[in-house]
Amino acid sequence: MPDLSVEIADVRLKNPVLPASGTYEPKIVPGGVFSPRALGAVINKTVTLAPQPGNPPPRIWETPCGMLNSIGIPSPGLEHFITNDLPLLRKLNTRLIVSIAGFSVKEFSELAERISEQDGVDLIELNLSCPNLRKHTAWSQDIVLLKTVISAVRKAVKLPLIAKLSPNVTDITETALTAQDAGADALSLVNTFRGLAIDIRARIPALGSISGGLSGPAIRPLALYAVYATFKKVGIPIIGMGGITCWQDAIEYFLAGATAIAVGMYNFVDPSCMGGIIQGIDEYLDTYGFSAVKDIIGLAHRD
Amino acid sequence: MSETIYAGDARVVSVREAPRDYLDIILECTQIAADSEPGQFVMLKSWSGNDPILPRPFDIVETNKKTNTLRLIIKVVGRGTMLMKQLRQNDRVTISGPLGKPITDYNFNTMVILARGCGAAAVLFFARKAFTKGITIHTILSAATKQKLILENELKSISKTLLTATDDGSSGYQGLGTDVLAEFLAKNNTDRVYSCGGGPFYYPYLEQLQSSGKLPVYLFVENYMACGTGHCHGCAVKKKHKEDYYLVCRDGPLFRLDEVEEPCLIYQ
Repeated sequence: MPDLSVEIADVRLKNPVLPASGTYEPKIVPGGVFSPRALGAVINKTVTLAPQPGNPPPRIWETPCGMLNSIGIPSPGLEHFITNDLPLLRKLNTRLIVSIAGFSVKEFSELAERISEQDGVDLIELNLSCPNLRKHTAWSQDIVLLKTVISAVRKAVKLPLIAKLSPNVTDITETALTAQDAGADALSLVNTFRGLAIDIRARIPALGSISGGLSGPAIRPLALYAVYATFKKVGIPIIGMGGITCWQDAIEYFLAGATAIAVGMYNFVDPSCMGGIIQGIDEYLDTYGFSAVKDIIGLAHRD
Repeated sequence: MSETIYAGDARVVSVREAPRDYLDIILECTQIAADSEPGQFVMLKSWSGNDPILPRPFDIVETNKKTNTLRLIIKVVGRGTMLMKQLRQNDRVTISGPLGKPITDYNFNTMVILARGCGAAAVLFFARKAFTKGITIHTILSAATKQKLILENELKSISKTLLTATDDGSSGYQGLGTDVLAEFLAKNNTDRVYSCGGGPFYYPYLEQLQSSGKLPVYLFVENYMACGTGHCHGCAVKKKHKEDYYLVCRDGPLFRLDEVEEPCLIYQ
């Protein structure tokens, strides 16, 4: 039986398969598919300090082998999350990552502090990259902003921090190094790529927010490149994500340098896919004689 | 939302195209047939591969608990539904359901249904249950032409009145279904109006009817969907007078007209 466990900043996950934030709410699991307890960790839809409604519709648009989204982080706010959502997530008895997004350094620090006071939270993921909030620049698209916010949150809390980075930059290895140097314990690579579609019947942009984030199999080669290139430069673990649909995709990410992987939009297509991916990783390791998933991390690097 | 949602396979029992570009499909799926309630829908993907990638949402027209089947009526409008034209008996499809909020409010005595084209597929399940509860039903069906009037026989058998309106006059009144509704309401009392289809052509009249305060109007709303289960928050429709959104898959698809803004963003 291969060992599927991995460590992210001294937090042991029983397997390296996670859902991506905003794509999987454990309280709405299709019955009889598989249990969220089987996952290496669960993660909430990014929570903000104050409640916010999200972006005007249309919020989604299908594209070749993927989709655009401009959901815009609808959030019930921190208080509601702590009171109503956190207790349910704790009950799942698996590792819990809480995803937060602040609009100022102060907000980010306050969110992190409040979350780290709660029981049962294992890691905090900083959503530094959503391109839907009408800011011209996301936190992780500006080296100075990125360093400032991660340093501040690092000072504020002891919990391990995962920096989820936007790929909409010239050199993601540069932003990854900045995040590492500022105190991030791990990286989530990558968030969505900025894209746009036009509704030719209405003759306007298809999304209510004009542009949105592209996800799905179409972005996998782009996200894989980000993981591969970053693995060469950083020493902290990478959670790889971008268009993973099956165990074969997941293996690509481990070989490229990911310690764990997250499945995002494919949860909409096949709600049971993460169960199959865990099994598939296990069988791949067994077939090729690897005793642990840790043994294949970064194995594809030759140069 | 149901307590458990089935996500898996279903077998195609039969498929026929009647009229052209409308697929009438019977699927065998025990759990969904057993658990579905009026007002609910399924997400369906009948092809393998990732292009197109997303499943598509379709109203449950009726279920049969003896044969463990459910019926869908699908209008072919785009790439996904075009692929569904290739379905044959005994093919297997990927399906999730039942999704959406079951309709539980039958606290009224009479209703008028106004449905255009494929919109009739959304109302039959609800209308049949209302009929078993003794509610009096008047139905107005409309379409471009007589051939595109959907579920006329099924609705006729449970309706005290059934009127039709077609764009070309091939059946009933020549013109908008809302004209027929206006004339009917001028001479008849009713407690509620339920409408599906017609999009921006019906909306101005229905909105005026709702805001007149004389009777509540309910809409079966559709929207672009990714997950259909409330995860992604993609199918948002704006709450009226509030800076907030309902999700069509979680809070609908049935809404009272005055609860929502711009529910007709997509119209096929």
